[in-house]
Amino acid sequence: MEDIQTVHKQEGTNAVKSTFQIIVFRLEEEEYALSIDQIKEVVITPSIARIPLTQSYIKGVGNIRGNVLAIMDLADKFGISTEKDITNGTHKYTLVVASDEYKMGILVKDVPQTLRVTKDDIDESPAIVQSATLESNYIKGIIKSGNRMIVLIDIFKVISKEEQNLLARTTDKL
Amino acid sequence: MKGDDELKEIFLAEALENTEQLNKLFTDLEKDNSNKKAIDAIFRITHTLKANAAGMGFSDLAAMAHTMEDVFNVIKSGNMVINADIFNDLFKANDVLCALIEQVKTPEKVVKFKGIKTKLEVLIRTSKEKPEEKISEEPVKINSQTDTPVSVSMQAEVSSVTSQIPVEDEVKEVEQIEHEETAIAFSDNIHVPIRKLDNLLDLIGELIIEKDRVIAMNGNSGRSGQNDYARLQRITSELQYSIMDVRLVQVNVLFNKFHRIVRDVAALENKKVDLSLEGTEIEIDRTILQIISDSLVHLVRNAVSHGIESTQGRLASGKSEAGKLKLAASSEREEIIITITDDGKGIHAETIAKKAIEKGIITREMALLMSEEEKIQLIFEPGFSSAETVTAVSGRGVGMDVVRKAIDSIGGVIGIDSVVGVGTTFTLRMPSSMAVKGALLFELRTGDFAVPLSYTKAVVAIQKKAIRSIGNNLFTTYLGKTIALVYLNDLFQLKDREELTKGGGMLESYHKTNDDEKIQVIIITFNNKEIGFVVDKLLQQKEIVEKPLKKPLENVKFISGATILGNGNVCLVVDVPSIIQSLFRNSKITSVKTQQVAV
Repeated sequence: MEDIQTVHKQEGTNAVKSTFQIIVFRLEEEEYALSIDQIKEVVITPSIARIPLTQSYIKGVGNIRGNVLAIMDLADKFGISTEKDITNGTHKYTLVVASDEYKMGILVKDVPQTLRVTKDDIDESPAIVQSATLESNYIKGIIKSGNRMIVLIDIFKVISKEEQNLLARTTDKL
Repeated sequence: MKGDDELKEIFLAEALENTEQLNKLFTDLEKDNSNKKAIDAIFRITHTLKANAAGMGFSDLAAMAHTMEDVFNVIKSGNMVINADIFNDLFKANDVLCALIEQVKTPEKVVKFKGIKTKLEVLIRTSKEKPEEKISEEPVKINSQTDTPVSVSMQAEVSSVTSQIPVEDEVKEVEQIEHEETAIAFSDNIHVPIRKLDNLLDLIGELIIEKDRVIAMNGNSGRSGQNDYARLQRITSELQYSIMDVRLVQVNVLFNKFHRIVRDVAALENKKVDLSLEGTEIEIDRTILQIISDSLVHLVRNAVSHGIESTQGRLASGKSEAGKLKLAASSEREEIIITITDDGKGIHAETIAKKAIEKGIITREMALLMSEEEKIQLIFEPGFSSAETVTAVSGRGVGMDVVRKAIDSIGGVIGIDSVVGVGTTFTLRMPSSMAVKGALLFELRTGDFAVPLSYTKAVVAIQKKAIRSIGNNLFTTYLGKTIALVYLNDLFQLKDREELTKGGGMLESYHKTNDDEKIQVIIITFNNKEIGFVVDKLLQQKEIVEKPLKKPLENVKFISGATILGNGNVCLVVDVPSIIQSLFRNSKITSVKTQQVAV
């Protein structure tokens, strides 16, 4: 809460600027954020049923309010995971992200915070957003807030890449 | 008969819709006289209407539609100039058509249609005689043979409206009908997009899951509760069956289309074929019927073009001149069975095997070990097309592998019985409804799973010593037959399919099993292949509502969907066709080995 308020005060002086809200969550040592309109809700992580023949960061599916949704571990996806098995209840919360096309869950350890930022806070310089590796084109920018550095990502770009991978896999010749 | 009534209702709804389309198309055509599309569409609609009406035995309606079809036949061929005048007649004709459709519902009502019909006929005749002359100049010389007087009430009702049209008597009469009928053309049926029904079905599925959960939570506490739940149980299940019932259609809807298809194919192939239909009143889920329709068309075409011999061929082998083709539907428990039987030349297993070897689907060695039945099954393999030459009829588009895929996708099974020289029967077994299916629930290391009962044959408990391992494969004997065994724990542990091809890791659980431990095996049967799934623990048999997995998991292998159990946990539904295909494809030898072991 403090974060929100302090940031808010800073912004208060030039309120004319368009601000928008982001949801910040921690993955290992890093802070990541999603735009709030990509997030539907935060729920307690349900029990997860593993799906065979999927990448390890697809943890499986869970029952979220009567819907069977895919649940993924972004730390594993980004290759920064330090834990081998995360189904032992350390990731208590699941961020439910939804677009017209997708609906799925992202595992997080702590309740995510909301943060209000302005466009100016985001460093979208090509050096960051379009770095050499294709992998990172889901990174929308870096937000600097005080001494924090938050990676703003577009979750649906992460997912659609994931889907392509899956497709490549399933269309393997038999 | 209930079936006939329903057919009549469907016909009426369709016919009314047709007249509405005609009204719209006439309007379009009136605005743009050269609208070729509209002309074609009108021709098609009147043709369908005529055929349907004739099929239902409504001769007046058929005759009227026929005349309209004729008019457009002439227009299509360019022998009649469309001008403003004929539209009056066309609209009137359409209204009369409406009236005739209404008359089907209330036969006591008298509808005059001969006047306008004759008028249209005159149009056709004159255009044929002197196509260059303008139709409007033709003296409309219709004799007043409108011998059936319009009933008094009708006239009273309409006379006030018609006064502004100062034309001849016949036309006036027609006008009267027009005004009378446009007021009340309402069908008793409503059209509901299937999407809305799907949505209802989804909701009912959720309701059932929720009901199970509530009962599981509170069901054991107190006697009074039990009663309430019994009612909840009854109401939800009634609701579910009513919604499923709404989605059912008679196979008739599809079967009746085959008269034409068979006729066309037979004419093209210069063969004589008698089609007979059986069990047309059997009801099946509309979605399932839609999914299998292309497959059925393909099978029927195939039967006519490849199964049934030429007339000379038939006579030479002492058969009747006309080939016999039978489409039959029946229901057995929760299943619908559709069979397509021809009395043609049958499928020669050796010919199939030879072609399969040529196409590289099997090896010569494998062919030697295969039974006739297995060889015939090869026609369902991708890349196998039985036709020597591609004809206009079959060999176009879908192959037999597509047929099987379609049947697989709805959890159905397709089988062939063929006797050379006597004929072939294709048997399609499929669920009558997609909504709920019986499933066997079992437990694995990673959670609960379900396998649809349509694939399960038996459940057995065996000991480790009953299992033999050969290479990377496990086998056991079931009822004297050797079948392959797969530990689902190991199969589901694989990272990707390459691992499966290599066959690594598939024996892990087997090696860990103690010698005296009871091993639970579910015997699965699919497409004449049998395989045993080794599971950790069998749970129960249950009706489940399966939902497909959503993006990005919609293409995963081995799992066809999921259901939610009473305790709120997700239970994955095992995709038997996908597993069996992967296993048998990745190690083609497996089936051969099975045979060798058996020897």
